[in-house]
Amino acid sequence: MKKPITLLATGLLLMLSNGYSQGTASPDEKETAPKAISDAPGNTKFLLTGAAWADFYYDKDQEVKYNFNSYGFAPVFLWKLSDKLFFEGEMEISDGNFELEFAKLSYSLNKYMTFGVGRMLTPFGAFGERWEPAFVQRFPNSHLKGDDQYIPGENHLDWGAILGIDLRGGIPLGSSKMNYALYVSNGPSLDNTTGMIDYENLNDNNSNKGVGGRIGFLPLSNSSLEIGFSGETGIAGNQEDSVYVMNGEYRDYSKVKATAIAVDLNYAKAIPSIKSIIGIRGQFNSLSVDKADYAMDDSTFYPAFDNTFKNYFVQFSFRPGMSDNAFLKNVELLFRYNSLEAPADAPWGPKDKNGKGGAVTRTDIGLSYWLSWRTGIRLAYESTTLPDDEKSNQLLVRFVMGF
Amino acid sequence: MKKIKIIFLSLVIGTGAIMLIEGCAATQAIADKSGAALWGENCIRCHNTPSPADFSDAQWETIGMHMRLRASLTKDETSKIVAFLQTGN
Ligand code: HEC
Repeated sequence: MKKPITLLATGLLLMLSNGYSQGTASPDEKETAPKAISDAPGNTKFLLTGAAWADFYYDKDQEVKYNFNSYGFAPVFLWKLSDKLFFEGEMEISDGNFELEFAKLSYSLNKYMTFGVGRMLTPFGAFGERWEPAFVQRFPNSHLKGDDQYIPGENHLDWGAILGIDLRGGIPLGSSKMNYALYVSNGPSLDNTTGMIDYENLNDNNSNKGVGGRIGFLPLSNSSLEIGFSGETGIAGNQEDSVYVMNGEYRDYSKVKATAIAVDLNYAKAIPSIKSIIGIRGQFNSLSVDKADYAMDDSTFYPAFDNTFKNYFVQFSFRPGMSDNAFLKNVELLFRYNSLEAPADAPWGPKDKNGKGGAVTRTDIGLSYWLSWRTGIRLAYESTTLPDDEKSNQLLVRFVMGF
Repeated sequence: MKKIKIIFLSLVIGTGAIMLIEGCAATQAIADKSGAALWGENCIRCHNTPSPADFSDAQWETIGMHMRLRASLTKDETSKIVAFLQTGN
């Protein structure tokens, strides 16, 4: 374990020193490059940006029907240290929790490739890295995710922020282009009492690393359409204490692997003939964990089942942004369909009338009113249907302030 | 499995439809595009497009680098967009 880290640290130091000299010194100044850094005021460019939000809901089926239920503030710190070196960090303070969301250093290797290291939003799919920030997401909340409302884990089906390294860039292909982001991280970790996966591992539970990435294609010359394909795989089982013994029986979880794939699509276009901007976006995720008997309680192993979890959403937005009407041009109409499908034979998760795991679906209709390009108010009416046909509805309101 | 097939089928049909509609538009090599064109086409993809007047020259430089990473743009695209934003503010 020590060797790769030492190597990484040395490589990083080398790049850092290289970055400074290339970014700040002209050839004849090279000798005195370190001095040039301290003598070059204004070379480092800093920007404090981010977003804040406050939420409200109405749900007639809950005990507290009206609720100011959530708030958050997420400052983002950006430093451009040279033409090649860049740091981005975000802290999120929401609902009484404080978290360092990401802290990532990037070094531009050439026109088409940047190396990154640190804690970073996982370049898996498009949602987590590109669409999640409160002002980028048009709805007051996220699409339907595998959160603890439906399953016993918080981060299953959520790639969050990893600790690791990545390589990314864009490649022009004539009138089309493509882009890529490949990463190595601590990888997934398995909860062997439930079969749930957590990707946000700031300390690895085994020496096997998670490897993954996303490749995006923009086939049209006006870059309005992007389709992305993502994959990630890694051993999730614990290396230490991998064998679990119960009543004379044992199971070894050290080889249990988690493999995920995602497909994302984004289409955004200003259409002058209808004075409007339309957007279509969606993402499909599937996460499969190798078959294993989970130690659900203290006395029995739960028999292995096909532990594959899937979810997807598609979202449409329509904004008459080029309209002459001052009110209308700030209005955006939204529609989103969500589905979350749990394994049929899992002991947890939403069940249909026959006790089999099934899909939760949600239809969201929303409206956004923009006060600036990233500040506004959003409303959404969301109807959820559980696999046993139970239905519930919620009205959500969110104020977003981008700064 | 059936659902996945439906999703992929809709994906293929949707993409095909967009390509068909867009196919009528003139194509131009990305490398030949101006900063203004690249700004108009790229900065609308994820969020509303900020206007050149929203930030100062120095701030645009930092943002350019940030968006180069977020959107996986090439260095040339980014430089052109930043230069356009700096002249437009
Ligand atoms: C692939 C999606 C995507 C594209 C394309 C994109 N942005 Fe962004 N942009 C984001 C995200 C995500 C954030 C929020 C960043 C964060 O919270 O770390 C953001 C934030 C910003 C901000 C706020 C300051 C900052 O850097 O965080 C500005 C300004 C901005 N974008 C401008 C642009 C411009 C100009 C372009 C066109 C070159 C562009 N964006 C293209 C996703 C995108």
